[in-house]
Amino acid sequence: MSIFTVNYLCREVLRDHAFRAAMKSDPARALAGKDLTDTERRALLAGDVGALFRMGANAFLMAYMARFEVCGLNVETYNQRMRAEKIDELGRPLERAADPE
Amino acid sequence: MAQVIAGFGVPHTPVFPFFVKRDGPSSEIAKLFAAQADQLAAARPDIIVMFDTDHLNTFFFDNLPIFAIGVDQRFSGPNDEPREVPLYAVPSAPALASHIRGTAIGAGFDVASVQHFSVDHSVIVPLHFLTPQMHVPVIPIFISGHLPPLPSAQRCYAFGQTIGRAIASWPGSARVVVMGSGSFSLEVGGPRMAPGRDHGVPDPDWVGRVISYLERGQTETLIAQSTERQLLKAGNVGGELLNWIAMLGAIGERVPAYVAPQLQNGHAYGVWTW
Repeated sequence: MSIFTVNYLCREVLRDHAFRAAMKSDPARALAGKDLTDTERRALLAGDVGALFRMGANAFLMAYMARFEVCGLNVETYNQRMRAEKIDELGRPLERAADPE
Repeated sequence: MAQVIAGFGVPHTPVFPFFVKRDGPSSEIAKLFAAQADQLAAARPDIIVMFDTDHLNTFFFDNLPIFAIGVDQRFSGPNDEPREVPLYAVPSAPALASHIRGTAIGAGFDVASVQHFSVDHSVIVPLHFLTPQMHVPVIPIFISGHLPPLPSAQRCYAFGQTIGRAIASWPGSARVVVMGSGSFSLEVGGPRMAPGRDHGVPDPDWVGRVISYLERGQTETLIAQSTERQLLKAGNVGGELLNWIAMLGAIGERVPAYVAPQLQNGHAYGVWTW
């Protein structure tokens, strides 16, 4: 359940200003040693919020990455990537991505 | 004896303080909050009890109560950096909060207790506009309205009724205003955002229906229609309507003085006085 870590780190972008700065300057280094699977780490570094959403990451928390512009995201790119996701009537991802790990 | 003297329904959009600072007192948001501030001042409250949904700031996935109440001398906020909002220390009323919690647990609502805590924009933004001097103690009551499974609307209404009875049975003398904080239809950061924005209103039709039920005092219909499915269909924070429903339970059968809609934002500003 390391998606907990993804959610937690998204909130740390809000709360921990040193971590926020590290995520802006060198995200791979900022995430080194964090309890993430390789798939989660790759998705975070690529700003692939759609994939993270399919893995169960919380959209409200991921939006902090757009607000503070880390991992190549801003409001516009975040909006485009999330809006491209296929969802059901209740806003849930149609397909849940299984983390191969 | 303490008494519930008014009910308020308030939005808490985190960017509103920035908009009001930018656009001034003649802007729509400023005027809608100023009208509520006038009504609140006229009610002369001693204490505010606010139903609110935390946005994973006071709580997190490691600990997610369905119902919780702040029981402390004071709390701080906001803890999530909304623009143009100072960090406030808000006085609270722990003796009444403890009485409310005990009464609720006695009535079958197992409410978590929260101490030494901070709150996010959803408590502070309304207070920033309504009681910026923070001279009125506030008791926050948290309802888990974002992350399914949500408590049912029936359950939240009954919870509100119990809180209303708890306030009325408080031996101390206090004029209490009950507030419900939140939106009726809103998606924040999820796939149903409007193009190019950080949010969207996925179900504007529902917003209109909610406001109509509120205006006409059709609480039973509102509760029956507010299924988990409908609340989730209205957006990833659509369950914040549960805070308004709990407020309605606490104030009893009333018709509002007014409910001013802001349809483009998926919410409204409501005042119940009698």
